[in-house]
Amino acid sequence: MREAMKKINLSYIISLALSIFVALIIGALIMLINGKSPFIGYSALFSGAFGSKYNLATTFAKTVPLVLTGLGTAISFRSGIFNIGGEGQLYLGAFAAAYIGITFTSLPFFIGIPLAIIFGALVGGLYAFLPGILKVKYKIDEVITTIMLNTVAVLFTSFLVNYPFATTQGKMNGTEIIAQSYHLRRLVKLSTLNTSIFFMSFIAIVIYYLMEKTSIGYDFKMVGQNRMFARYGGINDKKQMLIAMVISGALCGMAGVFEVLGVHYRFLQSISPGYAWDGMLASLMAKNNPVGVVLMAIFLGALKTGSVSMENATSIPSELVMVIQAIIVLFIAGEAGFKDKFVLLNIKRKSKKAGETNA
Amino acid sequence: MLKEIFNLTLLQHTIRTATPIILAALGGLLTQHTGMLNIGMEGMILLGAFFGVLGSYFFGSSLMGVLLASLVGVIIGLIFAIFVVELKSDEFIVAIAINMFASGLTVFLLRSIFGVKGAFSSPDIVPLPRVNFSFLENVNFLDKIFNNHSIFVYISWILVALIYIYLYKTPQGIWLRASGEYPEALLTAGVSAKKMKYKSSIYCGVLCGFAGAHLSLGYLTLFSENMSANRGFIAVAAIIFGKANPIMTFIAALMFGFFDALGIRLQVVGVPSQFTQMIPYIATIVALFIVTNRQLQKHKKSKGERELA
Amino acid sequence: MAEKLIELKNISKQFPGVLANSNVNLTINKGEIHAIIGENGAGKTTLMNILYGLYEPTQGEIFIDGKKAVIKSPLDAIKQGIGMVHQHFMLLPSLSVAENVVLGSEPKKKKFFMDYDKAIEITKNLAQKYGFKVDPREKIEALSVGVQQRVEILKVLYRGADILILDEPTAVLTPQETDELFNVIRKLVSDMNKTVIIITHKLQEVLAISDRVSVMRQGKLIGTLPTQQADAKILTEMMVGKEVLFHDLHREKVSGEKVLEVKDIKAKDNRGLTVLNGVSFSLRAGEILGVAGVEGNGQSELVEVLTGLRNLEDGDYFINGKKITDVNPSNMRNLGISHVPEDRLTMGLSKEASLWENLLMGLQHKKPFVVKKIHLNKKKIFERTDNLIKEYDIRAIDRYMKVKKLSGGNMQKVVIAREFSFDSPILIIAQPTRGVDVGATEFIHNQIMRKRNEGAAILLVSAELDEIMRLSDRIITIYEGSITGEFKNKEVTKQTLGLYMTGKQNKLKGSEDN
Repeated sequence: MREAMKKINLSYIISLALSIFVALIIGALIMLINGKSPFIGYSALFSGAFGSKYNLATTFAKTVPLVLTGLGTAISFRSGIFNIGGEGQLYLGAFAAAYIGITFTSLPFFIGIPLAIIFGALVGGLYAFLPGILKVKYKIDEVITTIMLNTVAVLFTSFLVNYPFATTQGKMNGTEIIAQSYHLRRLVKLSTLNTSIFFMSFIAIVIYYLMEKTSIGYDFKMVGQNRMFARYGGINDKKQMLIAMVISGALCGMAGVFEVLGVHYRFLQSISPGYAWDGMLASLMAKNNPVGVVLMAIFLGALKTGSVSMENATSIPSELVMVIQAIIVLFIAGEAGFKDKFVLLNIKRKSKKAGETNA
Repeated sequence: MLKEIFNLTLLQHTIRTATPIILAALGGLLTQHTGMLNIGMEGMILLGAFFGVLGSYFFGSSLMGVLLASLVGVIIGLIFAIFVVELKSDEFIVAIAINMFASGLTVFLLRSIFGVKGAFSSPDIVPLPRVNFSFLENVNFLDKIFNNHSIFVYISWILVALIYIYLYKTPQGIWLRASGEYPEALLTAGVSAKKMKYKSSIYCGVLCGFAGAHLSLGYLTLFSENMSANRGFIAVAAIIFGKANPIMTFIAALMFGFFDALGIRLQVVGVPSQFTQMIPYIATIVALFIVTNRQLQKHKKSKGERELA
Repeated sequence: MAEKLIELKNISKQFPGVLANSNVNLTINKGEIHAIIGENGAGKTTLMNILYGLYEPTQGEIFIDGKKAVIKSPLDAIKQGIGMVHQHFMLLPSLSVAENVVLGSEPKKKKFFMDYDKAIEITKNLAQKYGFKVDPREKIEALSVGVQQRVEILKVLYRGADILILDEPTAVLTPQETDELFNVIRKLVSDMNKTVIIITHKLQEVLAISDRVSVMRQGKLIGTLPTQQADAKILTEMMVGKEVLFHDLHREKVSGEKVLEVKDIKAKDNRGLTVLNGVSFSLRAGEILGVAGVEGNGQSELVEVLTGLRNLEDGDYFINGKKITDVNPSNMRNLGISHVPEDRLTMGLSKEASLWENLLMGLQHKKPFVVKKIHLNKKKIFERTDNLIKEYDIRAIDRYMKVKKLSGGNMQKVVIAREFSFDSPILIIAQPTRGVDVGATEFIHNQIMRKRNEGAAILLVSAELDEIMRLSDRIITIYEGSITGEFKNKEVTKQTLGLYMTGKQNKLKGSEDN
């Protein structure tokens, strides 16, 4: 226990809590300006996220894609290669799963579902491999390429579901429904929570183990922290970055797979409202720590779920939550800078005091 | 069918659709020169579009719309600079926060101020003035392509020239470029590199505000959710494609505008538009590939030459 | 009586974790050439950066011409007539000479526009006035370092500086260029009434050019004296302090096999220039081979080639008599090479990582620290970590402490501990005690000698001649990418080594002939 305590970065947890707190205060101010009571708003938000079995289930249903994309982001960021392309990988992974589900309709579930998951992960991983190889071999900034590839994937899948794979049943902007054997079971009535949460938990444990307990995770981390040091120590830095990128893409692809198999039962043109961005936010907030990613994903899932109840109870638009999230990101981005300024101020103050006593 | 697609209207639309990209890209290339790549332009345009409508609607004047849009641009530009320059935050993360903030806030305000979901339109929103050059009316095709556009179309062209002169012919422009190339050199020459970075970020905010106002007040008079529709990212693509040179960037933006316009027309006649829409993004990756590959080749070559010498 | 021009009073500068200047008092007289000398990290540059407004002092005051001066930015310094030529040139490579010279106070036309023609004219006139040969239209990136330095000086003169600060101006110059520079400096002082402050760590230069000299050590100003009253011995003592009269280390007689040999190896630097020009030597078990040379003569690249971090362009590389074809870091480590790199922070450590993670590097795929192929065996890892912390006297709170929170000496001990713990037959060690305090230096020297006595073959690269002479069995000198001489230690003097290190060994022969 004591060992575990030593590893926790207490000062960062305080900063994070402070960031969240200030963002919530700003959210409260916005509510006040709109003539709404923040107490009513936030308590509606809280009970909306955790208040009933249905609410809790909805919160956890939302965390599935967030955990997967969050871990995907974390593993790439920790290895010093910045996969911002999770959204595109998610879309392609989702479509890949739907493709399996509408093509091989007679497969039994115990073959079909793993096949869909693996194919989705593979497609997501391959789509991340492209910017990865451009980065390590040609030194092309992966942030720009992954952002560009996001839109390409969204447009490409949009083409697929509007033309070659468009459903014949009405204008859905989606594929046909996947075969029954691919449907993941729903766990709580009315909510979309399904057995993918078990898959997700298993994957999360594997990724946690990989990142924290293995030599591979060690290599990733060293490459991300100091590439020269890693190379000096005999690590093939380029290979590690590429592997991390592919794992990252596979995780994001799987996030898409579960949206298809567990939630929509088909691929839809706008299947993700930006899950990968929220996943990235979870990873940023947790500083790429896998346990932290899971916790932050639950937090963000709760915010998202609760915001709908908040809107119903107080007519405060649920998008307020996005504003709050954005402010949290901003504070997290500035966290190190704020701390540095604080340290410098302290030095100044101390030396001034010293100067006075000298004089 | 080809005739239906490739006609003068296509070129006219190209100019229309390219304008917000040009405006934003001009702003973004300024920050690019100071060493900051601003992915947050997407959000800045969106905010500009919303506040343009807001100003125009409440004050009954499109000028007020533009002013409000630019004011918000200044504030966001300032925030971007404070975080990136002062707090040394990661520019991408700050930009992502800005984009998230913009799409959340605009929808939030759309619903809490106007009480609508999706889009807001009203006859009380005053559009930006159109400009008519009577001398163009005599030549039919010129008239069709170049005449009677919204005012920002022409302003954006003038800005291309002005920003070119600013960057390459004035001391300020040299400082701006120096602040990105070698900030310490500028600092030791007695000019604050930080100040230049702040300036570029604020200019970028204003220009993205213009882009947004043009989007919501130029031809249509409405605001709809996420109406920036990736134009900020296409602007980034144009900057990379045009190597942050105002004229090259302008050409790239026009080109991307052309494909955008083409896509819309294809959709009208029932042809998939997704592939034309992809062009800016793929072109950017290809351009990056060619540029860096050439640099690598050059490096190898110069190595070889030195060996001979 | 000399007229006081600048007075620095009680200047202190605190960086997070480092006191770079501590209560420095320094007076510069009008019209003098004032040298500031000290080892790397003694605080010379920090002090001058404060005078030039790049840093704000945490404490202290500056007086110019007897009046208190507030210098908060380089612009303030420029207004006070101070100009500085930095060690790393502050020139924009993509701009022309003229644009660089006038940067920040450009001539204008029509209020807004840069007057390029005038800038060219100004640069031409200035260059003529001071006798420099430069083409104002040429781009900086096309110029040699020596010419670039002249552009820097012109830049300072254009701003009307009366006080010129030159930070390590000769570090990148050839001897001829150095002589030229010194002539320029003398002319500036005698003909143009300028005052020059020159920062350096080279004794001969101080003696050759300065009127007065101030010595700094560990952030403090040790003293100022007229150069006439100074000689190399006095200055050295002031620079390093008397406590470094190291006692001799116990040296056992070990005679071992030849374990490493290179023949005619060549390598290029990051810019693609050939910096190793056919180097050959061999290394035996149980000996320390010192590589003496002025920094930047190819030693860094030599170390990188031997450890597989840099491409071997040409030549043969043998370990235990076997020719090595695949030279990469992991391969070289497997062949029994350990490496203490010259810069611990960029290469030797990950400062964000914990102590145990830093000490693990290189063993993370080896038993017993990893089991079942990938599972890290934390118990074994921590055991080893704690032992090394004890054995190498690393002052840390615990094994989870981030390395960035350690002092420089303790960081270096982490690198040494890790690399020495592998018990590799070959150790490549570069600048082992750079920026390390005296106590840690002594400890590290002892460890290196222990390894030698245990039979390791050690290549030692250091910019500190004293270090080379204290530890080495044999010494080779390197100059411009070639080996210029080889000596048995104790059979060679510092002065002789100095000449070989600067490629002037012929001078020695000449004087012997006389």
